[in-house]
Amino acid sequence: MAGHGRVQEDANNKVVSLADAAALVHDGDTVALSGFACTRNAIAFSHELIRQGRRDLTLSACVFGMDADLLVGAGAVSRLIYGGGSLDRYGAIQCVNRAYEQKKLVAEYYSSLGVTFRYLAGALGIPFMPMKSMLGSDLLKRIKEETGPDNVREMDDPFTGEHLLLVKALQPDVAVLQVQMSDAEGNARVYGPRWENVEATRAAKKVIVVTEDLVPVDIIRQQPELTVVPGFRVDAVVHVPYGAHPTSLYKCYDHDEDHLKLYVGKARTEAGVAEYIDEFIVKPGSHMGYLEKVGGLATLSALKADPILGY
Amino acid sequence: MIAAGSRELRDDQVVFAGLGIPQLAVSLAQRTHAPRLRVLNEIGLVDPHLIELGVGNADPRHWYRATTFTSFLDVVGMLLHRGVVDVGFLGALEIDQYGNNNASEVARDGGGIRRFGGGGGANDIASHAKATMAIIRHERRKLVEQLVHNTSPGYLDGGDSRKRAGLPGGGPHRVITDKAVFGFDEETHRMKLLSVHPGVTHEDLRESTGFPLDIPSDLALTPPPSEEEVRLIREELDPNKMYVSAF
Repeated sequence: MAGHGRVQEDANNKVVSLADAAALVHDGDTVALSGFACTRNAIAFSHELIRQGRRDLTLSACVFGMDADLLVGAGAVSRLIYGGGSLDRYGAIQCVNRAYEQKKLVAEYYSSLGVTFRYLAGALGIPFMPMKSMLGSDLLKRIKEETGPDNVREMDDPFTGEHLLLVKALQPDVAVLQVQMSDAEGNARVYGPRWENVEATRAAKKVIVVTEDLVPVDIIRQQPELTVVPGFRVDAVVHVPYGAHPTSLYKCYDHDEDHLKLYVGKARTEAGVAEYIDEFIVKPGSHMGYLEKVGGLATLSALKADPILGY
Repeated sequence: MIAAGSRELRDDQVVFAGLGIPQLAVSLAQRTHAPRLRVLNEIGLVDPHLIELGVGNADPRHWYRATTFTSFLDVVGMLLHRGVVDVGFLGALEIDQYGNNNASEVARDGGGIRRFGGGGGANDIASHAKATMAIIRHERRKLVEQLVHNTSPGYLDGGDSRKRAGLPGGGPHRVITDKAVFGFDEETHRMKLLSVHPGVTHEDLRESTGFPLDIPSDLALTPPPSEEEVRLIREELDPNKMYVSAF
């Protein structure tokens, strides 16, 4: 029946502004980020959280990138649940590392599979996952003694007697997922590897999708194997271009080497990162203002991915 | 180091290799004696065949022509934790004489710590791979008596302590430095010298190692890389010296 799909799509339309989506995150929430080092970071979304002055957040991810580093640099974060992080060859997550060294936040530091297993238990709705990583390590020692004593236990397998570590289920308040394509309901498609995106979004209480392209559901239905989160689990869809810049978005755009180097230079000091946040996040006032500030179309079109290579 | 790492790999093995020297060692092995080596990457990749070096695991240059795009849970959980990975390469800030590996933080000269990014999946690799190989610059402050942080366990306190802790993987197999190649004693699981690179003196080895070192008088020389290996590294694998120059 002509028009049927369209009517259904309108009824399920969850597209909101970046500002309205960021308002779904409250002070004190646990936020699962979707990036991995220099790729597919939720940069536009993190900028908006900073502009709205969010505080006391817990951030979680297997491997943090620039979005986590900015949020920590802006003083929005009091706790981390993570396995590591970097800006690849451009440098370290200096704000995170500095806050860790100065004990300005609690860093619950796992193996990355430990974080994934916490999400997996949360996603399945079971209380914990047994695992055999981290045994005998200082990772486990510190979580047990300092940073997360309520989140790990050790026991012997009741079937075989083998020694096991149990990690407690984690259900973040919000998972933010930066993707290449979504429909208006939030059926979100990811090109490239998905690291822990599936487990994090299933574990979360709310899911916010930030997408480069917004398409009709019929496009999603043509290759449903690429959908990583079903739309009915999504609370808000944000449609902004270059939402991961200066990190890469596979098949859409490459990372911005010049801007990453600029950021790494600024993030060396607290004063530098404060300047960066003021100049690139606060003063431009919006994501479109940020895109103009980093060079507008001249910069952004030069980053466009080659369709064969994907970068 | 690249050639020494490459020669430890066998055809048909399943290998975890991160950016830099490990990646180059694997590529060299694939171009020479081990064309069917399968590489996994924790970001969710199986068997990529890159044509251009990128800036890290998260750079799509390193995903090129993979056979599978999947998830962290699949690669690190259902392959590595499941026990099917033969060799895992590890970088290190510090290594002790039992092959325990610090990937987290070091002591600052003036007190306090200097934090690095964190190990990511390094602990998972050290816990579960059938064998691990660590690559580290040979310095007194890196091959140490006592780690600042045991991120990725080797043989813990030696003997059977790794097994008693419940760790399923085989533990450290080799430590490859820019001066020597180490293996591990089968009983005590202490690190032992297998060969020294040409041009490195025994005195130099002793001075640049932070734990006591037994140097056998008949210690072998590490075979130098062949002309073809040198050519592949310089002309094809890392022509711009992105990673070779780091050591």
